[in-house]
Amino acid sequence: MSQRDLVAELQAVRLTAPDEVRERVRLIAAAAEPTPPRRFVRRRSLLLVVPLAAALAGAVVLTRPASHPGKRALEVQPSTVYQTATTPTARAGVATGAIPKAPALAPAPSSTRVQRYGATIGLRVDSPGAVSTAVKQALRITSALGGHPASVHASAAGKTGAADLVLRIPRRNVQEAVTRLSQLGTITSEQVDIQDLQAGLDATDRQIARLQRELAVLRAQPQSTARDRAIAALTAQVQRLQRGEAATIRTAQLATVRLHVATPPPPAPARHGHGPLHGIGVAAYWAGIGAVYAVAFGLPLLVLCGLAYLLVRALRRRRVDALLSRP
Amino acid sequence: MTFAQAAERHLDDVYGYLAWFTSDRAVAEDLTGETFERALRLWHRFDPARGSVRTWLCQVARTVALDHFRSERRRTRREQLAAPNERFDARFAEGLSPDLEAALRRLTAGEREVVALRVVLDLDAGTASRVLGISETNCTTRLNRALKKLEEALDVAA
Repeated sequence: MSQRDLVAELQAVRLTAPDEVRERVRLIAAAAEPTPPRRFVRRRSLLLVVPLAAALAGAVVLTRPASHPGKRALEVQPSTVYQTATTPTARAGVATGAIPKAPALAPAPSSTRVQRYGATIGLRVDSPGAVSTAVKQALRITSALGGHPASVHASAAGKTGAADLVLRIPRRNVQEAVTRLSQLGTITSEQVDIQDLQAGLDATDRQIARLQRELAVLRAQPQSTARDRAIAALTAQVQRLQRGEAATIRTAQLATVRLHVATPPPPAPARHGHGPLHGIGVAAYWAGIGAVYAVAFGLPLLVLCGLAYLLVRALRRRRVDALLSRP
Repeated sequence: MTFAQAAERHLDDVYGYLAWFTSDRAVAEDLTGETFERALRLWHRFDPARGSVRTWLCQVARTVALDHFRSERRRTRREQLAAPNERFDARFAEGLSPDLEAALRRLTAGEREVVALRVVLDLDAGTASRVLGISETNCTTRLNRALKKLEEALDVAA
């Protein structure tokens, strides 16, 4: 018999399932309404989409410019310093972006008590030329009010300039001086320090009076070497106290006004790469690093897994072949 | 196509395949029911883009049959019964000449399987190889070897 006849005979045979089997299969099919086949299982897609979305969201959150504390501090730093040194009047100007020329708020010195009066004024002017002009005017005001400059430091470089002046002005004119000096530019800071010296002077007066009473008592005693030595010591002490008292009063006659005039700080250099897509860029950067690591560590693992899979498949196939090699 | 429609349309194919594969119609009846039970559980995994329903059902039937062969082998070993020749007493296909049926019984299960798929069910080489999990060349080689074996057996009988 040829192979063709053989195949024809085999194909002529048609096996039909018995009725019991047919009925049983019908019952199986009717037992449960099968769900329609899905080409892409939702759970599988979630396995891929959820970690990807989480990684992307995490990367964007972590790489947002606002989430960098260091960078944020760097951005805010100038204005923070600015605000700490700014008076309430000027701070209002900072908030609105324009600092008005407000009159200085220097309290009047007491005319009845001895006080050490100090004031610090920070001014902003537009250009280095304006700094120079402000320095000249400040010196003129100081002279006009009977004072003198203790020190003057001025510097200019390019479009920026600054000057620091220490002025000694009679205490009775300090309020007017502060007012006039404050009008030389835009106030950026103002500070007034008043230290009352009257209580210390009163204590010194009382000590001098006590020492003088002791001197009177000593002078009433009979003359002796010990008495003369004690009188000399007390007298020297009284003179020292009186000199110190006089020096304090003399110093307090003049108030110290520190004036800082400067141009605005140069604008911060524009930052690069911090546009709206910066977060996505950084996320892509980290994703790239992750991909490199995944390839470096995952590829050998993948190869091993592939080899193991091939080995298992070959073994299984061999077992099946052995199983089916019997008649 | 619903599962019920698929079962109705391809029941005979699955039954025939299993009957040829196991060379035992009683076993084939049991395995056919088991095949459709398993197919119903796995029906949501069926993807028409990857093959026809008949191919998929044959794959499920093959898995069921292999499980059967394994359990049979374990049982045979346990009971130390070498040849299950008793199940060949009944003819598994009407219309076959006694010589051809005797020749078929000399084939291995793997050879009968490829004959069933390629000749009886008339599957093309690609589909049959997908069911068997082997390459098309291997499938064709196995078929030729089986047919040659049958031919030689029939010549000897003649």
